[in-house]
Amino acid sequence: MNANAIFAEALLDPAVPCPPGLASWNGSDPAQRFAVYRNNVVVGLVDALADSFPVTQELVGETFFRAMAREFVRAAPPRSPVLALYGQGFAEFIESFSPAAGLPYLPDVARLEMLRVLAWHAADAAPVSRQALAAALAAAESLPLARFEFVPALRLLASPYAIVSLWAAHQSENAALELAGVATDTPQTALVCRHELEVAIYRLAPGAADFLAGLLAGQSFGAAASAAFAGDPEFDPAATLALLLGAGAIAGIATPRRMS
Amino acid sequence: MNQTLTAASLAIALGTAMSIAAAPVVAQDKMMADKEKCYGVALKGKNDCKAGAGTSCAGTAKTDHQGNAWSMVPKGSCEKTASKTSPTGHGQLMEFKEKKA
Repeated sequence: MNANAIFAEALLDPAVPCPPGLASWNGSDPAQRFAVYRNNVVVGLVDALADSFPVTQELVGETFFRAMAREFVRAAPPRSPVLALYGQGFAEFIESFSPAAGLPYLPDVARLEMLRVLAWHAADAAPVSRQALAAALAAAESLPLARFEFVPALRLLASPYAIVSLWAAHQSENAALELAGVATDTPQTALVCRHELEVAIYRLAPGAADFLAGLLAGQSFGAAASAAFAGDPEFDPAATLALLLGAGAIAGIATPRRMS
Repeated sequence: MNQTLTAASLAIALGTAMSIAAAPVVAQDKMMADKEKCYGVALKGKNDCKAGAGTSCAGTAKTDHQGNAWSMVPKGSCEKTASKTSPTGHGQLMEFKEKKA
């Protein structure tokens, strides 16, 4: 093991002794200085997770969250210097973290919070223009085969739990009151999208969720809408498209003629 | 039953959506002009200083003494969260024996 690897290992594990060969500029004990550095590295990363996963933290309380986050930091330190994106894999870690097993919805809430961070940092893109929409409408006969293009800041997450309601309840001043009305075992699909400088989270009805998932998978407008109807007779394509347009999620509509 | 949708019905859906959709498609060019994303600044105060030592705030970091606090019961709003499958009607919390150091 080279010196860097020894140093890195000791940084994340308090049981490992201070790496050999360290000196301090003022003659103080390098082991003590190293302990300060080790502490700050871990606390800084735990703070970063606390910033990115505020609802997850509220759900389990700060003490539990910080202890759980510390285990994650030691198991999966950042591989990139971009601290803002740190925490990918945290949801999977929570899934395997047995002390949190009593809250089965916790990993998906964490997943939703990570998607929010990713949407925030996704590339900017202009939503589809009125003119482009009007042009697509004018070529109505080609709409069934049209394909939708989406902005990079769009994310979709389907969960067997009421993740959107849980998340939304924690945005309220009176989270405890709001939470009392949340049935956690209700499946919900979240649409996460940033428009300008706001990341919004929407709850999609089952048909809308199928429709969007189909479009994202490359299905045509007609095929995705038909599949959504088949799975959910309540599917409302106009309301769903209005939501997507309002969210700034649609970047363009490619009709077969334009694609040629 | 034939589930295939006609071009006309898709056009009606899209046309209706255009008429009821809010802001973005209407006001897209104005809003970008007076706002710009501040690069390097994350959702909330997640700056380099928090990465630890060698920076001015490093000395103010909390110490890392909590050890196995996760072996205790999570004490957050989960206790107030309703759960149909729970006999108490609220989130179930698992209890764990605290490890001996």
